[in-house]
This record gives sequence, structure tokens and C-alpha cells, in this order.
Amino acid sequence: MTARRRIPRHIKIGLITLGILFAITLGMFVDVVGHIQSMVGDKEVEENPFTPAAAPLHSPTDPPMQVKVFFPGTQEDVILSAEDQTIYRSAELANRARQILVKLLEGPKNPELHPSIPKDTKLQEVFIDDVGTAYVDFSNPISANHPGGLQNEQATVYSIVNSLTYNLPEIRLVKILVGGAESETLAGHCLLIPLEMDLSITDIAPPQQEQVKPHAN
Amino acid sequence: VSIQLDYVLAMKRVVTVLFVTILAVAGFFYTQSISAADTDFLIYFENSTLALKSQTIERTTYLPLLEIIRHLGLPYTDATNVMTFSIQGQNSRLALTTGSAFISVSDQPILLQNPIRRDNDQWLVPLDFLSQGLSKVAGFEFRYKPGNHRIFAGKVTPAELAMNAQSLGPTTRLTLRLGSAIDVELDKDAGQRRAVLMLRGKPIDPARERLDYKDSLVQSISFDDSGGQPRLVVAYTDDVRDIRVTAAEENRVYFVDFIHDAVSEASLAATAASTSQPAAAAAAAARSNVRPNGLRVIVIDAGHGGIDNGATNSSTLEKDLTLILARRLRAALQSRMGATVILTRESDVKMTSEARAAVANNNQAGLFISLHIGYSPNKAAPGSSIYIMKPNFTGGTPEPAGGRLFFPWYMAYRMSLQTSQAAAAQLQRNLNQALPGWKFPIRTGPIGVLASSTMPAVAIEIGNLNNDVAVKTLSDAEFQTKLASTIAAGIEQFAVSSAGGRPQ
Repeated sequence: MTARRRIPRHIKIGLITLGILFAITLGMFVDVVGHIQSMVGDKEVEENPFTPAAAPLHSPTDPPMQVKVFFPGTQEDVILSAEDQTIYRSAELANRARQILVKLLEGPKNPELHPSIPKDTKLQEVFIDDVGTAYVDFSNPISANHPGGLQNEQATVYSIVNSLTYNLPEIRLVKILVGGAESETLAGHCLLIPLEMDLSITDIAPPQQEQVKPHAN
Repeated sequence: VSIQLDYVLAMKRVVTVLFVTILAVAGFFYTQSISAADTDFLIYFENSTLALKSQTIERTTYLPLLEIIRHLGLPYTDATNVMTFSIQGQNSRLALTTGSAFISVSDQPILLQNPIRRDNDQWLVPLDFLSQGLSKVAGFEFRYKPGNHRIFAGKVTPAELAMNAQSLGPTTRLTLRLGSAIDVELDKDAGQRRAVLMLRGKPIDPARERLDYKDSLVQSISFDDSGGQPRLVVAYTDDVRDIRVTAAEENRVYFVDFIHDAVSEASLAATAASTSQPAAAAAAAARSNVRPNGLRVIVIDAGHGGIDNGATNSSTLEKDLTLILARRLRAALQSRMGATVILTRESDVKMTSEARAAVANNNQAGLFISLHIGYSPNKAAPGSSIYIMKPNFTGGTPEPAGGRLFFPWYMAYRMSLQTSQAAAAQLQRNLNQALPGWKFPIRTGPIGVLASSTMPAVAIEIGNLNNDVAVKTLSDAEFQTKLASTIAAGIEQFAVSSAGGRPQ
């Protein structure tokens, strides 16, 4: 019995070799899996780690400015309801746009209305070009944490588009970016191309005089 | 003792076999990572085609220079002792040196991205040598799309090719869309179960080299022009009895139908009679003897899929509900109208908006219905709507230059905006009537799936997944059937009215 239990030396060597080879194979496998995971991970655009010190969006001398910020409402016929909010007329257009978007991210004051942008979403950058297209970059949660729904996605997209274009007539089109990159849609429905104002889905009577009003204030 | 010896011998053998296997596998991976397989490159000249063996060295593709120069018939001198090569053009001279990325054209230096090489007495040039250097002495351009093995020289304008395959029940349809008119000739090799489609008349620039499509009739579809003659090779199965090629749109579109054994002669005759209509639609019409109306093919899109769950409420996922509804709607439409109904997805897979619309476009659908379930942050909101594309959603979009293979996505919907409106209105009437308490307002928006559809296209968003009562109702099979038959009735009425208004 004892002779049987003792394993011959060359088998021992064989088993050890097998063990080493197995370990190498396992290592290679783990490496490959890691590669694949990192490739998948690469797709998610990282948030900018070099966040500059937050510059104030307005100076103390800037006069206040009444704006209408759009949020999903409870009425059946309209998708978005306007809420009056106050920002400061900073010299730089992009800073006025940022202030409006901050109000949008903070959510509505009226408890009847709903926030339009998912929690944890951060405003990363706003850039406005010569022809009046505002590029608005939000962090990934705007897409990843979006609850979905066609009408709901339209509400999110147009709360951004309308809040900017309605209050800042210099902005004609709004292009939404997700995590610093272009995205086809937020939640699979609405195309994120440069979009113009659509007041037909809001409780605000459209056209011209309204558009001029914020200017006159 | 003998038992022990056997055991030892067996172990030895196992160890040896394992060792050899592992070595072989390791060797396989090792060789793979070192030398990429040489690929065939094709240069399409105006009157001839040159096939070349390319070499990949340090992740750069190199072509043999001498073969190109000889084919062009340009005078050259190969000064091996000073390692330079010069080519004499009509009024310019090109010189290159081995190991250097600088070439000179009539004494003007040009920097290439990769150096010229001379390996095994063969001059090798990187691809950008053709457009940067050779085009200057040859007197014409070389056009090359990265990642592809075709170079088009001078005035050669290839015809773009887009392919799509789709199962239409008893037949599998391969649709070829070509940028310009091309003759297609079918060469069937029944023994090998291979169909070769020769594409004659022009060089072809395929969007994809192969189509990832496989079903019970078709096994693989791939493009091949390695011999200089562009052709499509389709491997099919034993179940295929016949293959039919039908041309449409002045030889710019071809339908290749692989027909299953079981399809009756009558339906085949019907197919032959109506050349521009999909075979299965005609077959279905022949089977059920339904009066023909405006809608022969209807494409239903089950929203979301794959990693995209859509809206969710605990374990209820929008992607599952839309697929169930799409299947029920297909059944309802088939029994009601005898129309061919195609789903954009049959299983839980992710698709882009454009791919969904492409299924409808490629099958020449008469109506495209995208099914979605709603979600509202307001739990009490009804959530339903019928969406059509919002016209002019973006300001100042430039009109594209003519002659595109596909409609640009932001244009396609314009072809049938009014009919989309009519379809939405009809569906609204039926849904509001059949489901009292549910409201289906018609809305417009920049909806991805609708934007690139050329036919009347409508997205129906049903209910509110944030409402637990609605979730229960939507998951109820009886309700789903009722919903499907209501939508089917709306589609049928739309089909009758649109057929009446438009001469067939």
C-alpha cells in the first residue's frame, strides 16, 4: 500500500510541468480577458481629470437676467413647461449658457415639474461657434443613467435645446455631446444632431416677440 | 507492480500528448503574431487590372514597385550599387533610395510616412508612395480607402456595392444596391452548393467584403475580386431548390432569391409575374388569396435590444415587450392582410437606428412601424404617443450633391412625410377607439429610426413603464393581442385608403 501511495519521481516531474504549463495558460487567458476588458473600457470616455479651478460664471457687477428654463411638466398636451429663473448677464455668451444649464441640472423649483437630466450628470464644457451652434458637453450619466422612453428622451434633449435657444437668441442650434464625444442618441431615439428650438412641445406661445424679450430686459 | 507500470506509462503518454499540444498551440499563436499573411492587392487601371502581392512589414503595407512600373510601361533605372531607383515620367523624374522616407520628384523632396525598402532584391513601396510620388510621374491619381485591398487609378470610377440579406420565410433574399448600372450574371455550381454572381461592366467598391448572414438557406455571402473579376460567392444549403435573380431600377438594384424546396409552383409563377415585388410577398398573396392592396411588405421594428434595455421597471424591460408585441403584430398582420411582415430583429440583439431603417429600405417596405414602450418621470402620465419625423428639425442643413447610393439619413424621411402623417392619423383613430382611457397624441421629433426610412414610417410609444398598473397591463397576453390586432386593423385601413388614392 505504501509503495502505491508514493508517486514515482518522473510522474511528479510530469505533474509539476503540467502545473506550470497550466499556470502559464491561465496567465495568458487572464491577460487576453484583461485586454478585452480594457478595450471595452476604452470606449467609455473618461472625464477630464484636469478640472481647472471653477472660474465664476458671472462677476458681482453683472445685472440679473430673467430666463425661462424648460422642465418636463405634468400637463398631458405639452412635454415641457417653462419655469422662470434668474441668472446674471455675464459678458461672455458661453457663461450665460453655462448658468442656464446649471439651473437645468439643479432641477425645477416647482414640485409639479420634474428634473429633465439624470442625476450625477455634470456639465463638462460649452462651446459656441461663429454661426450660432452651441456645443454642450455633458458627462456620461446623461446617457447611461437615462431612464429611456421616446417622449422622455425628447423632453431631456429639448429642455437643453429650448432653454438655450429661447433665452439666448445668439444661439441658433444646439449640439449635445456625451462624455466629450458625439453620440447617435441619448437613449436610442432622438438624434443628437445640431437641433433648433421647438416650442410646439412647450406651454409657451412661440415666436418673435418672445424671443426678443430677454434681450430687452 | 504491473498495474503501477501501466499507470506510469499512461501518465507518460498523457503528459507527452499535452506537452506537444500546448507547444503546437503556442507555436500557432507565435507565428500568427509575427508575420501577417500576405494579401492580394488590386490596382484598377482604366483598361486593365494589376494584381499584386503585398507585404506587411512593421505594420505597414508595402507593394512591389517593379511590377507596377512595368505594368505602366514607364522607363526606369535600377542602380543597385548605389541603392537608388529612378523613374522617368513624361516631364518629371522620380528618384527613391532604400531605407529613406524621402523621395524626390523632379528634385523636389517629398516625405512619405514610411521609408522605401529593398528586401530580397525587391523594391517595396508603402501605399502613400502611389498618391504622393507615382501619381506625379504617371500623370494620374491613385485613390485608396484605408483597410481595403483596392486601389483605383486615374478616371476609374468604381460602382459602390451595398448588400443586405433577409429571410422572407420560404425564400432568402439577397439585395444588391449598386452605385451605377452593372450587369449581374448568375453562375450556379449545384454540386458545390455555390452560386457565383459575376458583376460585369465596372470595378466594384463594396461597402463590406462579406455579409455576416446565415440561415437555413444561405450559409455565407462574400465578395471576391482577387482574380480581377468582381464576383459575389454565396454558399447555400441543400434546401435551396432554385435561385432567381431579378433586376430593378435600371440594373442598379438586384434581388437574388434563394427559394426553398417547399415553395409551390404557383407562387413561383406569381413571383415571375411581378418582378419588382418581393417573392415571398407574392407567395403569401397567392397562398391566402387576399385582394392585393397598397402594402405588400411591412417592416416592424422592435425597439432597443441587446445591451440596450430601453426603459425598465424592475424586471420588465422595454426591449422584451417590444419584441413580444412585434411578433404578435406580425401574426395579426399576416392573418388579416396576408402581407409579408419582416421584423428588424428576431432576437435580443443591439441594432443601430440606421440598420433598422435599412431593413425596411432594403426590402422595399410599404410601411415601417417602430414599436416602443414609454417612460415618464411622472408616474401618473399616460405616456403613449404616435411619433412621426419632425420636418426641418435642424436649421440650414445643406442639400447633398446628387448621385448618392443611399439617401442621406436626414433626407430619406422627406419622401413620404405626408403618407407617414396619414398612417399616424389612422393608427391614432384605431388606438383611441379600441383603448379608451389611453391617449395617443401624434407628435413629431428627430427620431433616429424614422429619419432614414424612405417609406411611410411611424413610431408608436405605448404606455408608461414608470406606472406599475401600466406595466401589468402591458405584460398581459390578452392586452398584447388586443393591441396588436388594433394596430393591424389601423394598418389595413391605411393600406386600403392609400391604395385607393394612388394608382397601382
